[in-house]
Amino acid sequence: MTSRGADVKPGCAIPPAALERLKGLLGERFSTVDADLLSYSHDYWPISLRWVLKGSFPWLPSAVAWPENSFEVQEIVKIAYGNNVPVYAFGGGSGVLGGAVPEKGGIVVDLKRMRSIRLNEEDMVAEAEAGVNGYYLEKYLNSKGYTLGHIPQSLYVSTVGGWVATKATGQFSTKYGGIEDMVLGLEAVLPWGSNVIMKPHPRTSTGPDLRSLFIGSEGVFGIVTRAWLKTCLLPEERILLSYVSETFQDALESVRRVLRRGARPAVVRVYDETETKRHFYMFEEAYGRVVTVIIVEGDSKIAGAERRIVEEEFRGRMLGEEPVKHWLETRFMVKEASEFTPLGVVFDTIEVSVSWSRATSLYRRLVEAVRTVKGTLFVSAHASHFYPQGVCFYFTFAGVPKGDPEKYYNEVWSVAMKTTVENGGSISHHHGVGRQRRSWLKEELEAGFELLKKVKTAVDDKGLMNPGNMGL
Amino acid sequence: MPGKWDWLKDELRASGMASAAPLVLRFIGGRLRGPDNLVKCALCPNMCRHACPVGIVDGRETTSPAGKARVALFLRQGRLQATRENASPLYACLSCDACSVWCPFGFSVADLLRPVKEKTAGGVGFKEFREVFENLEKHGYVYGEPKPSDSGSRTGDLLYLRGCTLREKHPDMSGKAERVFQHLGYRSFTIDETCCGMPAYNLGNTSLFRKLARKQAEKIGSSGARTIVASCPSCVYAYRVLYPKYGVEVKPEVYHVAEFLEDRLKGLKGEGSVVVHNPCKLAVGLGKPQVIWKILSSVEGLTVKEPRRSGRETFCCGHGGSAVPRLNPELARRIAMERGVELTEEAEIIVTACPTCKQAFQSNGFKALDVVELVHILLGGEQCSR
Repeated sequence: MTSRGADVKPGCAIPPAALERLKGLLGERFSTVDADLLSYSHDYWPISLRWVLKGSFPWLPSAVAWPENSFEVQEIVKIAYGNNVPVYAFGGGSGVLGGAVPEKGGIVVDLKRMRSIRLNEEDMVAEAEAGVNGYYLEKYLNSKGYTLGHIPQSLYVSTVGGWVATKATGQFSTKYGGIEDMVLGLEAVLPWGSNVIMKPHPRTSTGPDLRSLFIGSEGVFGIVTRAWLKTCLLPEERILLSYVSETFQDALESVRRVLRRGARPAVVRVYDETETKRHFYMFEEAYGRVVTVIIVEGDSKIAGAERRIVEEEFRGRMLGEEPVKHWLETRFMVKEASEFTPLGVVFDTIEVSVSWSRATSLYRRLVEAVRTVKGTLFVSAHASHFYPQGVCFYFTFAGVPKGDPEKYYNEVWSVAMKTTVENGGSISHHHGVGRQRRSWLKEELEAGFELLKKVKTAVDDKGLMNPGNMGL
Repeated sequence: MPGKWDWLKDELRASGMASAAPLVLRFIGGRLRGPDNLVKCALCPNMCRHACPVGIVDGRETTSPAGKARVALFLRQGRLQATRENASPLYACLSCDACSVWCPFGFSVADLLRPVKEKTAGGVGFKEFREVFENLEKHGYVYGEPKPSDSGSRTGDLLYLRGCTLREKHPDMSGKAERVFQHLGYRSFTIDETCCGMPAYNLGNTSLFRKLARKQAEKIGSSGARTIVASCPSCVYAYRVLYPKYGVEVKPEVYHVAEFLEDRLKGLKGEGSVVVHNPCKLAVGLGKPQVIWKILSSVEGLTVKEPRRSGRETFCCGHGGSAVPRLNPELARRIAMERGVELTEEAEIIVTACPTCKQAFQSNGFKALDVVELVHILLGGEQCSR
């Protein structure tokens, strides 16, 4: 047995001279210790959780680096570029699609030591380094009277850089938007080691928006090291509303009417019958029906007007504040993978977006399709993010396959992605592509995928930035 | 009202899969405990990372809370060799239990790691810990042979347990506490106490912990004290929470000095501003996050501030848990600085209730007072100094 475990393959070798330079640059903040390599051989991709459970990893990095500033990131990337060593940016490791897994070996660059924050209150802009923890940032802003409004379920775990790289969105997105709506400026280190700053302006018309190259890039074009983010005043008032509807379609239609009138509740979540039973079983009158939770917040006058619009448009029975309070209390309770994976249950979530006109049919067909996969215990969904033009469905499935769990898992994903594309949806709303969805990106982008590959080749000529991710 | 798992039973029935998932049915029926807690923690995405001072300041997956659980799991599985390098992450823990405040299962990562430290990694193998164990074995005192001046009044009606850090680093506080107790009508006395055993417990040497616990409990018992007050929240945590788990009883109940002062102080007057630092073992371990704030708020004229991370959401001073300051003093310093800067954004003077926290802040250039010292000043004692 090796100290890494019998099943672990070594990653790409880093030439000794390069290793020495990296050690000289970072000292203790550079490691080839086995415990560190194993720690960076996975993220929160369910497949990689099975690796953790077995203690057996197909891919390992060759080294891990913890830079403390953009200059150090540049130096690491320069050394890697000069020695043809792959580089993987790592934030909170909460990605669920294998986007941070070091598939080809090389250096994992963990940015969590880069965590300075500056707030410009007059401009309402927060400048945060890539490694700033999400909760830490929000808590800091709250203490000054502001909020980012970006509250993903991974808030406690994830980082600013990870949010940008995965084009993340949060639970309060219907009002505050996704991270792409918040990023005013970016700093990134390019594959050859130079850095680029896309300055934070309120708006610019200076050619194609280069920020877009990095927002959602999942580390394939470079490493995001800093972001300038819009902030909002902490809401003066928060209004909690909930409804019970007879059908999923009724509730969705109600939300559509609210949004088309211009109201923007921060949170809107509509749970199908199964998920209502699962999450709101203590509200008997809702059991087996459809619960919608809504949070309207902001300036009290604006929030009051939005509340009136919600109350005028929503067709359903009001349930009061309690279901919303229950949701607020339990929204970060992430337990399922810990409880059920060791019992042999394959469990995951799949989020897709779709226009209103095709929403109900996509939901129905995707549920039907996943049910046809042998071994499926259940499949359910809630609508988690809303737009005047459409909605994000967040599906949950679980199965106990008789054969290879990974085969079952991939089969479910395959039918889900196929059904989404066939029904006019987008294969990902906010989790990104990573390694799990990469074979479906071409289906989604069609000719755009070839364009993306050409951009990748032009920007990352040696193909060293997170190689293999997104199928690039 | 429907049950928590009724929805899943309905789904299993509808899908015809009930017989294919016997483990799931047993689990949701409460007939199967499910995976052990270390496995559950290792499979978590680190939902307490933001609260863990090591996780935030060190910034490494390996020393993040769930990351440590994974390392422990790999060591337990034999997938990682128990070398110093591989086992070190298990000791990058301040035992502050901030993780338990946020964990969906309520786990303390320190508790999950301890059995692996004992069995696999072997805390006794670290040379940095050997001296601690030797000192505790030989002198019952974490710092070696106690200083000859280490004595106080040996008779009275309140036993004051000073703890090793106060005796070694802040010996003057003993006299200050004595005067505060006097003001409240108590004659305090001290004994030739033995370490409560927390350093051994934290470092994974539970057999030594047991030994020290029995010895200290015997000394406390033979003192005949009817009122017992301790300076250090970690010691109180040991006496009240850990000793009973190991079959050792301390009677009567030991109070932390802040708990003791909480409802007894009346009519104090002060001025200026102070900021509260809640020691983790007081706020989380003993579940008393408001006690310092209450004492200070009762002082007329004193402005009391709280930092961003307050109450149970406190942030360890970096010197808890016995291991980090010994194995990685630079990390301990950085955590102390992080917390010190956050605190002093609110007020220049930090008030805490733990000799170790006071030491952590003072040694990094911050002005820190134990609540007892502040009360002593307010009663007419000397002013605060660094």
